Amino acid sequence: MDWTEILRFSRGPLFHFSLVIFIAGMTYRLVRIIFLGWEKDRVKSQGSKLSGVIISYLKGLIILPFIPWVRRTFKNNALTFIAGGLFHLSLFLVLIFGEAHILVWQSLFGVSWAPMPNPIVDWVAAAGIVSLIILLINRLTHPVLRLLTRLPAWINWTMVFLPFVTGYIMYHHLWFPYEVIFSLHLIFVCLLLIWIPFSRMSHFLFYFFSRTIHGARAGKRAVTP
Amino acid sequence: MKEKTIYEHLREKGLSRRDFMKLCGTIAGFLGLEFSPPVKALGKLVQPDPARTVARALQTKTRLPIIWLEFQDCAGCSEAISRSSSPTLSSLVLNDLAIEYHETLMAASGFQAESAKEECLNKYRGQYVLVVEGSPSLAEDGIYCTVGGKSNLEILKEAAAGAAAIIATGNCASFGGIPAARPNPTGACGVADLIKDKPVINIPGCPAIPEVTTGAILHFLILGQLPQTDSLKRPLVFYGHTVHDHCLRRPFYEAGKFAASFDDEGARQGYCLYRLGCKGPTTYNACPSLKWERGLSYPVQSGHPCLGCSEPHFWDGGGFYQGQSAALIPPTAQTSALAAGAGLAAGAALAGINSARKKRAKKALASTAPTTPAESTTSAPPDKKEG
Repeated sequence: MDWTEILRFSRGPLFHFSLVIFIAGMTYRLVRIIFLGWEKDRVKSQGSKLSGVIISYLKGLIILPFIPWVRRTFKNNALTFIAGGLFHLSLFLVLIFGEAHILVWQSLFGVSWAPMPNPIVDWVAAAGIVSLIILLINRLTHPVLRLLTRLPAWINWTMVFLPFVTGYIMYHHLWFPYEVIFSLHLIFVCLLLIWIPFSRMSHFLFYFFSRTIHGARAGKRAVTP
Repeated sequence: MKEKTIYEHLREKGLSRRDFMKLCGTIAGFLGLEFSPPVKALGKLVQPDPARTVARALQTKTRLPIIWLEFQDCAGCSEAISRSSSPTLSSLVLNDLAIEYHETLMAASGFQAESAKEECLNKYRGQYVLVVEGSPSLAEDGIYCTVGGKSNLEILKEAAAGAAAIIATGNCASFGGIPAARPNPTGACGVADLIKDKPVINIPGCPAIPEVTTGAILHFLILGQLPQTDSLKRPLVFYGHTVHDHCLRRPFYEAGKFAASFDDEGARQGYCLYRLGCKGPTTYNACPSLKWERGLSYPVQSGHPCLGCSEPHFWDGGGFYQGQSAALIPPTAQTSALAAGAGLAAGAALAGINSARKKRAKKALASTAPTTPAESTTSAPPDKKEG
């Protein structure tokens, strides 16, 4: 089979199939979590749920991650904090503002937006890859982390790293013919899409649910989340 | 009477010795003979000057008979070759090598044309180069494309049997091209899919670059064999690099400057056309280096994204103006809803089973050892495992 054919297959049926599995899997996970049961919150409302949610996002996602030295997590483990944070930021920027990725969103949802300049996305992606490697080394060398890490966590790392690194090689036209690395990138992305719903990677969506729920609970009790 | 060599023929037409050597140099450079592995392997490059290899071939060889067949095509490749402004190469092939049979270019028609072909097939058996333009049609025993009452499959097999080499010119003859686009009602395919016992080379493109087709013919004439090819049987000397590799807009790609529409400031500045659907990065062809109309321009230079016309299935490779990274088959709203529905049903079913088991377990617990209500509410369901 020729690589042109493999590329056509991965851009077409394989990507389609992975997206279907991804949608079905995420819905399945969501339903399972919802049906786990909800504890009745009998506390009398003392504040606003909405303000709790807003404060929770501002603190947890938008402001504090960028002034990390005020947080205890950072003081205790600066490396994980910086590398982990950089990796997440990089993944977000590359996926949402990368030129080629915007074309993917456009083909899926019919909307597009202004991309970030490619050289910036490029550096951000490089930072993401370096962060991932640092996180891996940390995980391999830290005795406690090693003890805590089971097979799914190693798979998680690999599943994210492969699309990232093949995308970078592809953008720079390094080593491989373009259609080969393009196919590999797509195949790894498809594997990731299938893996996400059935792993901890589902936190890309469920993180927002838990942050909203915790924020609302804290807001109702008029305490800072 | 002894047949004239090509050199003698050219001299008779008034070509000076100096012009002849210039022509040989042009051909040698054009074909990249110096770097051509088969030349080295054959040990044919005695002199360090490849032009002399060409000169010797033209001085010793008589004209090369060519039979040009057309199947499901638009004659665009013939048009391209007959209107090519490249004076040396195309006119050499058209005027000085012998195209014995060409349905579009020949003056004869009907029975005369057919009998001329028959005669030529017999006379030059084992010597002629068969050029095929247009895709053969397999469906219904080739009934969708017939010439002179014969199906295209019959014609192709008959002509291929006596050919020294076969050159499939254009995307249709190479990979099926436009006739093979979904749903491919005529069962169009490439020549190489049908003919396995002869050397076949593909010169895909829509149309094929005329200099590349003539280049392949000249290569066969000079070295007696077809040029080295890639996995899709395309000559490496012309298809060794992608359109993107040598693109004159490449610096804009590197700098991340893209035209977002055909009439925006980026388009006027000549920015990269990747966003407008350019297939350059995956398309192997010589457009940016050879260009068209005596090196005047090529599509990307003129402001249009590359369509990828030298690649298989280029007609079905997503929209021409759709970015290359875009999904080829994006799930429809219906498919997505079905997938979500399946997920929901599976989740709900499992949750229902779990809930039933939980109730049963509770009941069993209550009947065996009565506990306080506080304890029973906190007892966790047995096998809750997520993720």
